Formats: sequence, C-alpha cells, structure tokens
Amino acid sequence: MTESHATQREDARFDKLARLPDGDPRRVALRTELVEAYMDLARNLARKFDRRGDQLEDLVQVATIGLIKSIDRFEPAKGNFYGFAIPTIMGELRRHFRDTGWAVRVPRQLKELHVTVAAGRAELTQQLGRAPKPSELADHLGLTREQVYETLMAGASKEGSSLDARLAEPNGDRFGYEDDELNQVDNRRALQPLLAELTEREQKIILLRFVRGMSQADIARRVGVSQMQVSRLLTKILERLRAGLGEDSMVR
Amino acid sequence: MSEVETNAAAHASGVRGADVRVSADAEQVPLIRSFAADIAMRLDFDLDAIEDVRMAVDEACSLLVRAAVPDSSLFCAFELLEDTLRVRVHVDAKSPMPPSADRMSWQILTALASSVTENVEATGDGHRVSIELVTRTGEAAAR
Repeated sequence: MTESHATQREDARFDKLARLPDGDPRRVALRTELVEAYMDLARNLARKFDRRGDQLEDLVQVATIGLIKSIDRFEPAKGNFYGFAIPTIMGELRRHFRDTGWAVRVPRQLKELHVTVAAGRAELTQQLGRAPKPSELADHLGLTREQVYETLMAGASKEGSSLDARLAEPNGDRFGYEDDELNQVDNRRALQPLLAELTEREQKIILLRFVRGMSQADIARRVGVSQMQVSRLLTKILERLRAGLGEDSMVR
Repeated sequence: MSEVETNAAAHASGVRGADVRVSADAEQVPLIRSFAADIAMRLDFDLDAIEDVRMAVDEACSLLVRAAVPDSSLFCAFELLEDTLRVRVHVDAKSPMPPSADRMSWQILTALASSVTENVEATGDGHRVSIELVTRTGEAAAR
C-alpha cells in the first residue's frame, strides 16, 4: 500500500463521515466501507496478542470492535486516524485480556498461585538458561509439588476450548467450507522435501516460529541462542527455502 | 469409552507406567494429550519438555486416529525409564500406509520427540500401525 496516498484518501472519507447527519443512510454504508478498509489494521494488532493462547479469530473480533469504536469516535480535525485507532484497538484487546483472562472459574488462591508460578518460571528460566522443572519451581517458591502441579493444570485450562473445537479436527468436520489455505497446497507440497533437508535445529526453529507461532525471543530461549541469532537463522533458512521453491512459485 | 490400567513397576519418582485405551476418535485425543502432559509433569520434565510431550502425543494420536478402522480403539502405552518417557500408540487400520507418509505431521513429530519410530504389521484382515515416541527430560531435550 502506498502510505501517503492511502492516508489522504482515508482522511477524506472520515471527513465525509463526520459531515453526514446522524440518521443518514449513507452514513451506515460509509461506516461499513471504512471498517472493511481498515480490517487489516485490526487483524495485525490482534495477531500481536495471539501467542497468549487465544484463538486468533476471537482476538480479531475484539480488535474489530475496537476498530468500529475508533471509526465512530475519530475526529478528523484532530489528526491522523492511525494515531487514534491503534491505541483504541490495543486498549480493547488489553481489556479483553483483563476481563476474560480466565475462561474457567478457578479458585482465587489458584489464580494467585498462577501469577506466582509464572513469575517463578520467568526467574528460573533466566537463572538456569532453560525452562524449570516443577520440582525446581516448588523449591524456588516454597510450594509443595502438588501445589505446583495444580497450578500448572489450572494454567492449562485458563482458556476453555470450544465444544466445536473438535469439528476442526481432520475427522470431525461436519460443515463444508472451502479451505482458505487450499491455494497453498502446491507450495506446501513443494516445501516438504526442502524442510526435510534442514538440520534438526533449523527444523525446530521453523516449527516453533510457524507452527507454534512463538516469538523470536521465546524461540531464542528454547533453542539456547540469542534473539539476533534466531533472526539471522530464520532469514537464512527462509532464503534457502525460497531459493529451493523458485521465487516465482512463492505466493508471498 | 476409555480405560486406564496402571502397571505395578513403580518408577523412582513414584509414577508408574500406564496403558490407556480410548475410542479411535478425534474427540478422545485431548484426553490422551492431557494424560501424557500430566505424566511428564509428574516425572519432573521441564516445562518446555512437558509442552513438547503434549504436542507430540497429540500429533501421533491424531495421525493414527485418521488411519484407524471406524469404531476401533486407540491404544496408548506409557512407559517410564530413568529420565525417559516412552509412548507407544497403535491402532488397527485398513491401509498399510506408514504414518511417515504424512510428511508434515511426521516432521512435527521428529522435531518434538527425542526419537520417533513407526511400525506397520499385517494382522488377520488389516494392519496394525504404531508410533513410538521417546522423550527425555530437560537437559537432553534442549537440543
């Protein structure tokens, strides 16, 4: 997207929206048009929160609510839309995490322990240079192992999974829909032999990054190298995969 | 339908081996996955290794469930050695297609477990397809 051009055009639409009187049917149409035009912004911001374990689709919905609020409240005279929308959408996402962090009602004491254990995990990971064991967490925090187990289990159910979740499993789909990824089939097929040629460490990095969606910092911690190295390795691996596929066959 | 049987050979940490049988249905996979993670946790695997076990078992079970004969069972045996958790999963399948034919899933498995092996043997009217995963505690897993 050519930034300045798009910004100018968007700005004009916001002016138009602001000038339309409240009950005007054109207002609804224009508002919808603006929401659609800026969906990518909401989607991108939602993605930043994705690794907290929520379903991306849920986060996109929350971000979209933030986007709609931004469009409704934005005053074009006061400046740039992005400057207003980004904090508004981020605020909506943060509020979502604050209010709905725990999908399952868990006793207060366990919630507090969860915070303690999460902090202990971060501290020990730093100290040990690897993820701690439950026994190490227990010693470090002065808890019994059983308490640590309970807390870890509670943490695992922080988000309940939808009853429909299994419908997404290969054997479970009941409703037909065209898979968005279908046009990627060729690329994936072509990619598989190339992936197999990577070293074990490279495969692990690719897996953590693209299958588990971990951040580079988290990968660095897991693989035991610096974030800079992860970044360099990723670039190098991707270059090699692209070269292997032949640049023109890559969709992106 | 599910059934759990713990065997008598106690592990040093007080955890035992266990055999679990569930319907070979995608619906049952989360059960096995949680079971595996719980065992790894009680074996005092580090937290990353516990996640790896959870994901690897999920992948192996999902892979086999897809191949399984309808209305059959998924068998999952957990065996605990020193610092190692060995998980054997098998189903009865019509086709002798080895699990590694699914390259993507197999790739994920090999990246998550310390070692993965597969086996396909002919039974009377079909094939028994099995996957064996070996995962080791923290230090060894930090490849």
